Amino acid sequence: MTATIHARDLARRYGSTVALDHVDLDVPAGRIVGLIGPNGAGKTTALKAILGLTRFDGTLEVLGLDPSKDRDDLMQDVCFIADVAVLPRWARVWQIIELTEKLHPRFDRAICMKYLARTKIKHKSKIRALSKGMIVQLHLALVMAIDAKLLVLDEPTLGLDILFRKQFYSNLLNEYFDEQRTILITTHQVEEVEHILTDLIFIKDGKLILNDTMDDIYERYTEVMVKPGDVDEARSMNPLHERVLFGRHIFLFERADVSRLDELGEIHKPSVSDLFVALMGDRAADAEAHADIEGVRA
Amino acid sequence: MKDSISRLAILVRREMWESPVAFKWTPVILFGFILLSSLLALIIGMRIDGDLVFTRDGLRMFAELDPDQRRLFASGALFSISALFHQVMYLVLIFYLAGSLYDDRRDRSILFWKSLPVSDTMTVASKVLAACILAPLLYLAGIVITQITLLLIATVIGLFADINVFSALWVPANLPKQWTLMLYGSLVQGLWLLPIYAWLVFCSSWAPRLPILIAVLVPLMIGMLQHFWSFFSNFKLPEVNLLLIMLDRIGKGVTPASIEWEQIVTSEGANIRPSEELFMNFSSVTRHLFSMEMWIGVAIGLALLTGAVWFRRRATDN
Repeated sequence: MTATIHARDLARRYGSTVALDHVDLDVPAGRIVGLIGPNGAGKTTALKAILGLTRFDGTLEVLGLDPSKDRDDLMQDVCFIADVAVLPRWARVWQIIELTEKLHPRFDRAICMKYLARTKIKHKSKIRALSKGMIVQLHLALVMAIDAKLLVLDEPTLGLDILFRKQFYSNLLNEYFDEQRTILITTHQVEEVEHILTDLIFIKDGKLILNDTMDDIYERYTEVMVKPGDVDEARSMNPLHERVLFGRHIFLFERADVSRLDELGEIHKPSVSDLFVALMGDRAADAEAHADIEGVRA
Repeated sequence: MKDSISRLAILVRREMWESPVAFKWTPVILFGFILLSSLLALIIGMRIDGDLVFTRDGLRMFAELDPDQRRLFASGALFSISALFHQVMYLVLIFYLAGSLYDDRRDRSILFWKSLPVSDTMTVASKVLAACILAPLLYLAGIVITQITLLLIATVIGLFADINVFSALWVPANLPKQWTLMLYGSLVQGLWLLPIYAWLVFCSSWAPRLPILIAVLVPLMIGMLQHFWSFFSNFKLPEVNLLLIMLDRIGKGVTPASIEWEQIVTSEGANIRPSEELFMNFSSVTRHLFSMEMWIGVAIGLALLTGAVWFRRRATDN
């Protein structure tokens, strides 16, 4: 079976800025992959390469096609919602539906109507008259009505309120996702997606810092809230990261002896945002924070 | 094949949805403008010319004219209305085409359009077809409605003047011939203007901003440079000037059926009276269609469109 996304040595520079630094990536079908990284890390460039919206060096195959050459064929099986509402503002809702139906062979009008019926969107409204949340709802209704193999979401819920965001992901997970489909999400609101992800990728300065399944990640990384007396012992075990919460020291360990950690304190799964800070945080800023802690203790 | 045509059709329809002013409202406004000014002229006429006595006399005299003359005046007057429609249409199309591949890059909706399984060639083709086929058809509809309305007004006055409106007005107006010729002429004209249209679409495909200004300034600058260079190096005007070639192309293409100036020149010499063949002449349009100049232009147009597709393929939202 061909991988949904297969990239080798994928690279892209803008002038002297390296957006993608020789990335290798394989995403099989049936995954929900979170692509997480700070601003300017290369997330959007990676997505654009996958969608055939930018040139790149190296090899990239999406569903067996080269996106830079076969974008129009590829889009039969790929859907995309971008970080800003990109539906044309001059159009009316019924025109957008009509266009998608006539141009997309895998679009099912009945499904689209079913989702739209749950919203307050009127068919005669112009897109420019809709709120940002309604435009995203409309776009999601269009996309969920397309029987695609890969769905790419680039900050889909940016600027939406929490009710919309929750509903967005629950629709996606409960009514859209299945084993044949792959969803690739970039977002800053990591907490909202971490429970739905099957795979996690961290990207920084165009390089993949982490690329693993969530199961492997939870096996590999352990977070311990250490008892006050055991802080020094925990430090001696070479933790990846240390932070202080309400006076308790929390350490993150990679591939540590779980039975030993158990003696030091309370063990739990690290959250994606804690992992992000530990793996991607500025080392200098970390060291400084550490020095501060020492200062307080002294 | 059938699938491609139906996809193209919806894409061309999309153009009308996006630019209703260019395609729909301008012909409607032109119709309203012509109708209002005709009615205004009649109302003022009634003030001066009570009960339209002179107007009715004039119509009576017109009905007694030589049939050839009647044909020339009736069809000529109605044909001149179509010239207004066509001139406005070409002006509107210049702005439409200059924005055609630019507006969606500016408002980022290109990300939506590119998420549909539509090739870039198809997208560019839909813009050109909207200018070459959709616009002429819609403006022709405007012309047809305007001409019929004006003839109906003349018919009402004609009935009061006791003339045979059918033989005096409707037959000499020769509307079916006018309409067929205009349809034929405006389609040929679309092909004639293809290099100009393609140039606008080409600029629209890459211009970082203000594509219309770039589309005008580039040939203007090149034309002026050619002019100065030739003048200062050889003390004469350039033989080939890009700007003049482009203006010439547009100048020859203002109305669908170009006037047979040669016929006027010969008619003066040989003292033949001009007829409506002066402007309603299928063979002159056909001659135009099969001229060398026409197909050189089409080739240049296709080359520019290939360039536009190339840029479109690389275009994103920034």
